[in-house]
Amino acid sequence: MARLSFAEALVEGMRHELRTDERVFLMGQDIGKMGGVMGGSRGLIEEFGPRRIRETPISESAMVGAAIGSAMVGKRPIVEISFGEFLPTCMSQIVLQAANLHYMTAGAIDVSIVVRTRIGDGPYRGHPQCYESWFAHVPGLKVVMPSTPTDARNLMIAAIRDPNPVIFFEHMWLYHGVREEVDNSPTAASLGKAAIRRVGRHVTVVATGWMVHKALEAAETLAVEGIDVEVVDLVSLAPLDIDTIASSVRRTSRIVVAHEAWKVGGIGAEITAAITEACFFDLEAPPVRVGAPHHPLPMAKPLRDAFVPDVNDLLRAIRQAMAT
Amino acid sequence: MSRPNGPGTGEGADLDPSVRIGLLKAMMLSRTLERACCELNPRWFPAEGEEGVIAGAFFGLRDDDTMAPHYRGPFLAYAIRGADLSRLVGQALGKANGYARGRALGFTGPAAMGIVPWVAGDLGTTIGVATGCALGFSYEGSDRVTVCSFGDGTTNRGDFHEALNLASVWKLPIVYVCQHNQYSISLHASEVLPIEQISIRASGYGMPGLTVDGNDVFAVHSAVRDAVARARNGDGPTLIEARSYRLGGHWASDPGGYRLPEVQDAWRDKDPIPRAVSELVTTGDLTQHDVDSMWDEVRQAVDAAVTVAKACPDARVEDIGANEVFADVSEGMSALRGERSEPWRA
Repeated sequence: MARLSFAEALVEGMRHELRTDERVFLMGQDIGKMGGVMGGSRGLIEEFGPRRIRETPISESAMVGAAIGSAMVGKRPIVEISFGEFLPTCMSQIVLQAANLHYMTAGAIDVSIVVRTRIGDGPYRGHPQCYESWFAHVPGLKVVMPSTPTDARNLMIAAIRDPNPVIFFEHMWLYHGVREEVDNSPTAASLGKAAIRRVGRHVTVVATGWMVHKALEAAETLAVEGIDVEVVDLVSLAPLDIDTIASSVRRTSRIVVAHEAWKVGGIGAEITAAITEACFFDLEAPPVRVGAPHHPLPMAKPLRDAFVPDVNDLLRAIRQAMAT
Repeated sequence: MSRPNGPGTGEGADLDPSVRIGLLKAMMLSRTLERACCELNPRWFPAEGEEGVIAGAFFGLRDDDTMAPHYRGPFLAYAIRGADLSRLVGQALGKANGYARGRALGFTGPAAMGIVPWVAGDLGTTIGVATGCALGFSYEGSDRVTVCSFGDGTTNRGDFHEALNLASVWKLPIVYVCQHNQYSISLHASEVLPIEQISIRASGYGMPGLTVDGNDVFAVHSAVRDAVARARNGDGPTLIEARSYRLGGHWASDPGGYRLPEVQDAWRDKDPIPRAVSELVTTGDLTQHDVDSMWDEVRQAVDAAVTVAKACPDARVEDIGANEVFADVSEGMSALRGERSEPWRA
């Protein structure tokens, strides 16, 4: 056991696999002497050297392509895309190659790669785009967004070991903002499972990343008012663990879905649609979605604070769900 | 069969006669197999005229090397690695016997063949993937190499430039072969390339770049062989521009009204196959009778494959594999190994 920040836990997950599997290596920008953006790879270059911690040119498409090709010949690469804002520059490799190869070759080829990236409204006032739902839309990709240091470590290990392409989203507010005791036993979590973070009777709140923590905060506020909130951490956007969400909704009969990404076309839209299909007659109120408004993220702090969904948006949404 | 052509370039004159004959036979197989696919599937991509580049690039590699063929004329690489010709034809027709079981347009095979497949319709991403195979070889400290081909049009994609830069920075064991057929569908290279020779792009990435006559299979192979040796020796990548001409349409039924017939006729006179025949007959390595026998053998093999493929049922809807999108976590990883099963004998 060690008390780790989210960022330290991510590094621990990679370190564990780098130590135990020679096929694993990491490539990205500023992951060496600088220790990775926001310390996301701190300490790895010292232990594993430049052959396995590979600094790359600013060529995201080539980086992901190179990861796919090296996976094809038996390696298990991790690619670090510094910020989620850069994902569109390697979209064709992720969507056309990585996602398709296993199916299109009738199972002849596996693409065991991890593409890790930072999302959310970070400390830089830049690079915050939350494009995760794009990847959940594409068959053949696994999409993960942990919200705790324990999950950060264990899901990183599971993602590296998975024989499929995994897109791993790391929320920047979590990096140094949460810290907990993390078991360093080698057991890896399995991908594709949601986690119930708080048991409640009246309403199910499904949230991703940093919004999980906002949902837990809202739940404590509402407990005083006698509203008992169940908080489900989605963890995996693809595959989507609708079973866990549906069984929660069947107990609470109300659902609120919250993410920082745009509400339009976000993963919340898929969840509410799937839950409406699966649990229509269990619902006592229409589903409520919390997400960013449909305009680009502005830069100045007051504008930004108005844009990013916060605990007040959650309180409003949960009360709306409870009002019916 | 043979027609007089221009003089050979003299490059590749040091190639062993068995290699020269093998290259000719590889071109014959590529011509016959791809033409059969075009006759059966009007949307197949004719490679006629470009066989000098295709055979020159992929002939004679080591069994554990990786090949990443361009979408135009990919099947020779698979045949070299022991693919069943009837399954290749079946693949081009969407038959149940195709290696992709009706899922991909056509360029895939068992992992053991060590070939980067073609699973999407875009251009350029296979260059990045092929570069990754070379990264894997470099990472493991082996002397395996990758040969990757692509069209002249593809060298305008950002993926081409990113991959060449990365390969050069890391000195990866890869040979990039531009199968220059002068056309991006209907656009002539002069309309979309501001330079005469694509090989000069190599200088921007600090790697050797050379231009060879793509219709001289011996010249192409000689250049690729030297670049492969260089890559195997740890000296990094090379860009080879092999200049040829697409005698057919973009797809088999493309009426191609955008080209001048007299230019096409002029290029037909430079057909790489009769040109190689002429050289080999002149040197006494083959008689015309030998050449005729080689054609007969190739045609019989392709005819038999076509007969089998045509008799096969179409890909079955029940094999759609909706639950085969992901590799099973509990199973081991399947990776390109680059081993021949039963090689096509050149």
